[in-house]
Amino acid sequence: MNELLTSIVNGILTKGQFAVLLYFLGVNGWYLILLVSSLLELKLHMLLIADESRHLLLSSTLSPTISILAPAFNEEATIETSLRALLALHYPSLEVIVISDGSKDRTIQVLIDRFDLVPVKTIYEQRIKTKPVRSLYRSSTYPALVVVDKENGGKADALNVGLSFARGELVCAMDADTLIEADGLQRMVRPFLYATDVVATGGTIRVVNGSVVTHGRVAKTAVPSHLLAGVQVVEYLRAFLFGRLGWNRLGGNIIISGAFGLFQREAVLKAGGYLHDTVGEDMELVLRLKRLSYEQGGPGKIAFVPDPVAWTEVPESAGVLGRQRDRWHRGLADVLWRHRRMMFNPRYGVTGLFVFPYYAFVELLAPVIEAVGLVSLVLGLILGVIDWNFALLFYLTAYGLGTALTAFTLILEDLSFHRYETFRDRALLFWWALVENLGYRQMTVYWRLRGLWKFLRGRKEWGAMERKGFRPVTAT
Amino acid sequence: MVSENLLTIVMLIEIGLLVLAVGLFFLHGLWLFFADRRLHRLTTVARESLARLVTRGLVNVEEIQALRELPNDVQVVAFLEISQTVTGTGKERLRFVAQQVGLVDRARKLCESGRWTRRLRGARILSRLDAADPLVQKLLADPHPAVRAQAAEWAAAQPSAAVISAMLVLLADPATQARFAVQNALLRMGGLVAGPLAEFLETHSGRAAEAGLRVAESLAEASFGPPALRHSRAEDVDVRVAAANLLGAVADAAAAERLMQLLSDDESRVRATAAKSLGRMQYWQAGSQLAARLRDSAWRVRKEAGLALRAIGAPGILFLRRATKGDDRFAADMAQQVLDLPATATG
Repeated sequence: MNELLTSIVNGILTKGQFAVLLYFLGVNGWYLILLVSSLLELKLHMLLIADESRHLLLSSTLSPTISILAPAFNEEATIETSLRALLALHYPSLEVIVISDGSKDRTIQVLIDRFDLVPVKTIYEQRIKTKPVRSLYRSSTYPALVVVDKENGGKADALNVGLSFARGELVCAMDADTLIEADGLQRMVRPFLYATDVVATGGTIRVVNGSVVTHGRVAKTAVPSHLLAGVQVVEYLRAFLFGRLGWNRLGGNIIISGAFGLFQREAVLKAGGYLHDTVGEDMELVLRLKRLSYEQGGPGKIAFVPDPVAWTEVPESAGVLGRQRDRWHRGLADVLWRHRRMMFNPRYGVTGLFVFPYYAFVELLAPVIEAVGLVSLVLGLILGVIDWNFALLFYLTAYGLGTALTAFTLILEDLSFHRYETFRDRALLFWWALVENLGYRQMTVYWRLRGLWKFLRGRKEWGAMERKGFRPVTAT
Repeated sequence: MVSENLLTIVMLIEIGLLVLAVGLFFLHGLWLFFADRRLHRLTTVARESLARLVTRGLVNVEEIQALRELPNDVQVVAFLEISQTVTGTGKERLRFVAQQVGLVDRARKLCESGRWTRRLRGARILSRLDAADPLVQKLLADPHPAVRAQAAEWAAAQPSAAVISAMLVLLADPATQARFAVQNALLRMGGLVAGPLAEFLETHSGRAAEAGLRVAESLAEASFGPPALRHSRAEDVDVRVAAANLLGAVADAAAAERLMQLLSDDESRVRATAAKSLGRMQYWQAGSQLAARLRDSAWRVRKEAGLALRAIGAPGILFLRRATKGDDRFAADMAQQVLDLPATATG
């Protein structure tokens, strides 16, 4: 009986491992193409922005107006710092709308006290159904600030309320605790000025953990020494610098981070705004805008711009991080399922024939394949079908190319923006690039599988996110 | 089982790539460290030297020679940096020094390069120095939109008749980037472009006209009245909207009369813009027409009509109060909302 089981497992492992290895090499090979694409894109971008005069945009009456939508739920600890930084952004015609999504803490009171808010009335068209608005405030010291207090309905609902109140031609969707660099909007608005078919643009999200923040601005960047935060720095660099930038050239961007994205307001309203019943509302909106552009015409280009930067605090506890990754993967599964008719559909051009299948077979199913590979490796060792040498060789081969690609991403960062300057930072970045394969990546496989499982069972909760708040600079 | 030999080969390739990447990463870091230090040191020297030359206005041959001997990248950084902080005589002196150290000649050469990235660089340097160079004017017809846009930026500080007419042609540029830069530059030129722009608007239509109308709206000269009236009858909705905005800025009797007609346009965006423009003009004679628009099927038109009534003062408020008691639920609701607005609110 034992021999029979061993021979069956042996058979599975023989074929299975080969398939898993091929999958790993195939995916990483594709990443290599993305890396080259992002290198070319970055080179062009750096040439275009070298010595440009963005200040002209600042003084122009022709610059499009921007409304920042900042949903806040229990952000009492960080809202003042974040909001002051938003109000100080360098952009000529800017409106900041904070939407308190039924906060149970003192978020609204903090805003009233610190920003001299007074209740006001306004005329707005409710084109999207949302939870009721309790009150609306304007600041008597900051004319650009609007605060909406509404009943809790989730982030999508809060953003939809913001869309109704916004007056800007463009809306910038962000998280209330995201720190946008002062010239971030000037940089991010460029694609809208340069082309008429752009419907949304996204900027780079960087990890703020470990860096020094003062007055809502990152005063000194540093790579965190905390394992989970450090590994996420590498992950974010990889995702934005070669993932999204690489897709830019290939015309396949379908993700704009919910923490920092700029959209054509009218296009979003026409599309029906953010969906309430999904946890991947940002990706869903982008894919819907893309899909509608194919179906009804109109702007549909999604552009990623690498130089506008927003800083975000990432989770440092495995529990919170796990919930976040689980939610992201559930969101991905949900969005792909909702728009499944795009799959291999020539009507949707590159998106339908190439990008959508990539997200389905590579991004969505990656944890399944990775889990099969890891489980069969362990099973093979237990049953004695493979020896330790082979297992180690297989493991190193499977993760080796990914690590090399990550190292090349670090070079991309170095060649372009080099925000991490010290030797310590470089050493840490490289260290985290190596370390992420020893446990962290496997943990993310588990979290993503859990997300997939929850999606199959129809669960849609968000999970709580704890914020530590930003570390202020020490007075000298 | 996957062959161990195959795995070993793949792994060795991966290790090779990894070692290469890591080596490059750290070597580049090392190079950056020294390059930054060098750049910082030399730029400080160049900056101090330039500041002395520009503020004192004395030609110090030795100092210019020292600047000339600095590497190109240092010169560019220092000159572009200081160019942002000086104007008038200071800028002239800076240009003189740039000429003496050879930076202007190098930038001119770049402008003649076959590669667009170099032409862009050259145009940027000359723009920042406000150098009145015909080479940059030629770049207004460059095949690459980024270069055309940069040339347009340069043109804003060189408002000659030839430059203005070349710029107006670019209002029809198919590339949005160049068009935006041209609009911006024309605005910065101010009243000088009013005459040529009015003539341009008389003879152009479509996208070019729309771009021109937007510039004209910001300039708000009376001479734009006739072309605005003509374009308010255009077939293109965007052009009619831009014309309605311009009519509101021109704000004469003919404009008001045409705007009242536009309140019955087929397109809601045009009706809304017309209402907004009438409010901006505070044209109280349009009270009854605006009040009728409170019953419009489009929310945006109702809102703009309500706000316009509020803007025209007492007669408008009267119309709004009357509308609150009318039989049209939508008109009554909008009128009430407008009346409820605080005194300082703009809607």
